[in-house]
Amino acid sequence: MKTIIVLGVVALIAVFIISQYNRLIRLNITVDEAWAQIEVQLKRRADLIPNLVETVKGYAKHEQSTFDAVVTARAKATTATTVADTAAADGMLTQALRGLLAVAEAYPDLKASTNFLSLQEELSTTENKVAFSRQFYNDNVRELNTAVKTIPSSFFAGFAKVSEREFYEVEDPQDRKAPGVTF
Amino acid sequence: MNFRTMQAANRRKTIGLLVGMGVLMWCVVYAALTYFGGSGAGIVPIAVGIALISVWGSYYGSDKLVLTMTGAKLIQESDNPKLFDLIQEVIIASGLPMPKVAIVIDSAPNAFATGRNPEHALIAFTTGILDAMDRDQLQGVIAHEMAHVANRDTLVSAVAATTAGAIAILSDMLTRMMFFGGRRDREGGGNPIALVISLVILILAPLAAMMLRSAISRKRESLADATAVSFTRNPAGLRSALEVLASDSTVVQQRSTAVAHIWIESPLDSKSVSKLFSTHPPIAERIAVLKSMESLG
Repeated sequence: MKTIIVLGVVALIAVFIISQYNRLIRLNITVDEAWAQIEVQLKRRADLIPNLVETVKGYAKHEQSTFDAVVTARAKATTATTVADTAAADGMLTQALRGLLAVAEAYPDLKASTNFLSLQEELSTTENKVAFSRQFYNDNVRELNTAVKTIPSSFFAGFAKVSEREFYEVEDPQDRKAPGVTF
Repeated sequence: MNFRTMQAANRRKTIGLLVGMGVLMWCVVYAALTYFGGSGAGIVPIAVGIALISVWGSYYGSDKLVLTMTGAKLIQESDNPKLFDLIQEVIIASGLPMPKVAIVIDSAPNAFATGRNPEHALIAFTTGILDAMDRDQLQGVIAHEMAHVANRDTLVSAVAATTAGAIAILSDMLTRMMFFGGRRDREGGGNPIALVISLVILILAPLAAMMLRSAISRKRESLADATAVSFTRNPAGLRSALEVLASDSTVVQQRSTAVAHIWIESPLDSKSVSKLFSTHPPIAERIAVLKSMESLG
């Protein structure tokens, strides 16, 4: 009888430890996946830019500084590797693209061209996808960081080799879907 | 209230209502035992069995069944790339797998979601809603439908339907037994007050079960609105979509009560259904809640 109780308690403790460990690992994997999603969407946007710039150039030749800003930001965004660098480049590119679209406003012929309209739709869905993948990433980082810092999961963080992750913070006052300030 | 507290409150209320449903079921079984003794107990598994078979078959195949019931047609990305763009945005925001997408040819603006789990989810839109709404509004509607998927509302409504169904079948069978067979197990004597209470419970239980089931459906709608905001962080989109739905007086042709609860806006005429039995909260109330979330920024 006594051994059964002891075995039962041991089994319960084992189940508890395994579930805590698995939760941390699962959260960590979700953050990795969310990060991969951000990279996919940033790449998608980067691929879209040359075509967009060419289209706008065809109608608005004298806006060289705007084009340069977009191209520079794109180059930075495609070479960044760390979370902070990627986020900074991403914010710059978002701003530059907004500038490009503002320029386009002044050229009615450009705005009416079907090529530009379809690019604009693609750009707005890509911008949304970038914003949502950031938001999803940050939500998961928040959950992981909370788990790493709070009892009882915090006891297992070292054992599971899971530590706090970095938020993806884009400095953009115009961003309605500002990540990290959702309360 | 922000969407997190809204989600928590609606989840809590759903659990409370499901517990209420369980308590009601227990009361009916208790009443059956008091009134009929052993023969009453024999009815219980039969009623639960019938309810289980009828509801869970349709739960399991819900994605295919609803397609035939509503006349929705599955579409591919090439059929409507813009709609798929919007759905992919919400998929990224929610982390859910890509659902099947269908179109119902109907000029009334409406949409629904079904499927037994996120892997078998199906979301459908009427041609009317695709024509009537702009980008942000449609995004709000898609987020609301994907919120149903994320909250597993097909499962919740199947559980509610099973219990309500079992209670209805049980009380129906027992009231029939009263008229025909009467009480055979009189040897226990029995407290007359307990007998009267049991009788009242048996008669009122199906009505109470229907009310509870509708209340659960209403809570799940509010929860889906809150979850939709957690996906898009843009209550204004869904709010203005609901305003479009509220101002539109056309209703979908398909008016079967069996699938009324799955649409974003109830296809049943709200005037004919009292508030206690309606599957959706009043649309003005949903708009007001979303507005209060907007003011939070």
